[in-house]
Amino acid sequence: MSTMTPDDAFVHPALFYRGEEEYTRQTVAFLRAGLAAGEPMAVAVPGPNLELIRAGLGTDGDGILFLDMTDVGRNPGRIIPRVLRGFADAHPGGRVRIIGEPIWAGRSAVEYPACAQHEALINVAFEGRAVTILCPYDEARLDPQVIADARITHPTLIDGDREETSHAYDWEAVVARYNEALPASPEAAVVSFGSQDLPAVRRFAVAQAERLGVAGRRLQDMELAAAELTTNSVLHGGGNGTLAVWAEAGHLVCEVRDAGRLSDPLAGRRPPRPGQIGGRGLMLVHYVTDLVRVHTGDAGTTVRFYLSL
Amino acid sequence: MGDPHVSGEPAPASPGRAALEVSPLPGRCGIRASGEISETTRPYWEEALSRLAGQHSGVSYLELSDVAFVDVAGVTALAVTALGLPEGRVVVEHPPPHLPRVLEMFWPSLPQIEVTPR
Repeated sequence: MSTMTPDDAFVHPALFYRGEEEYTRQTVAFLRAGLAAGEPMAVAVPGPNLELIRAGLGTDGDGILFLDMTDVGRNPGRIIPRVLRGFADAHPGGRVRIIGEPIWAGRSAVEYPACAQHEALINVAFEGRAVTILCPYDEARLDPQVIADARITHPTLIDGDREETSHAYDWEAVVARYNEALPASPEAAVVSFGSQDLPAVRRFAVAQAERLGVAGRRLQDMELAAAELTTNSVLHGGGNGTLAVWAEAGHLVCEVRDAGRLSDPLAGRRPPRPGQIGGRGLMLVHYVTDLVRVHTGDAGTTVRFYLSL
Repeated sequence: MGDPHVSGEPAPASPGRAALEVSPLPGRCGIRASGEISETTRPYWEEALSRLAGQHSGVSYLELSDVAFVDVAGVTALAVTALGLPEGRVVVEHPPPHLPRVLEMFWPSLPQIEVTPR
């Protein structure tokens, strides 16, 4: 079944596949259609799948940008600004075509809620733009809940030779569902702060990170990220907050709680214009960390970032 | 030229407080800063940059070897100032490593800013 696509419509199908042969056949056909249409193309999928696509395309893949999603998309929060909009914004003037596979078997239970929210937010980030993003899902290896969520985050579903509209499509429901409470860790080193304490709380965060073995550029990144979150609390989150740092399953976790509410679901995912004054703080946190989890509501906001140790 | 010396909060009485001191660079067009550039000291930093832009001609210098930290808003103020210069560039000498890191992230290869690393 095929429908006419308006020139400025965003197209966001999920592709459910079982095994390497089907994966290669479907993704290569998708890219060959883009080649025939003369569209700029990028492929951001896990390394082994990247190789399948490259091998399937041969020299036809020469003009395509290939990225290992386990690297560029390790933190799902940076996929929209850095990978997807990064490519689409660099190719204005016509439709661009992207394969993005942000969820693979091996994504942890801590990562998954941020992955599902990322898939949901793609829909609002690209609304009204001439962009096609195909998201492959490994039906043989992913949890059935992940497949069920993909039917809610994608307006179009491709399964075998069938392409159909998803009747379950409701991206906001997935954003809300994975806005999960983040209980405090009993192991954490905790400090409260107000506007006068920003330098002190930043130094506290750095000292805790050093104690846990973070050094060099990672330590500088941690300092930048902690400064942005605590400054946000002072400016937008009620004027004060609490910072906590602990180690968990091979990661440093740094968390900032305040009384504010994050009302913009795309906060930190909209690339700013070069001369724009604000809008980079939360994006920096996404860029330099391995995972960001957010819980926001009437009772306040918790933002947590993870750095692998 | 205006006041040649802009000072942030008084020298910190406790290590938790932040201060930024800005003074003219002797013999060159530009300023030297010491302390930290963050939310607490941002007004002084922005005022200093605005003064730098007002006096700019050709090449201006920012000597930052005594600055311990700069946040994203501090780097943004510098980048926006540099983007607004009618010509020439700003040479940033010996900044804390956070500054080139944030520049590279949001303004890769900005021709108006040249960084001399620590």
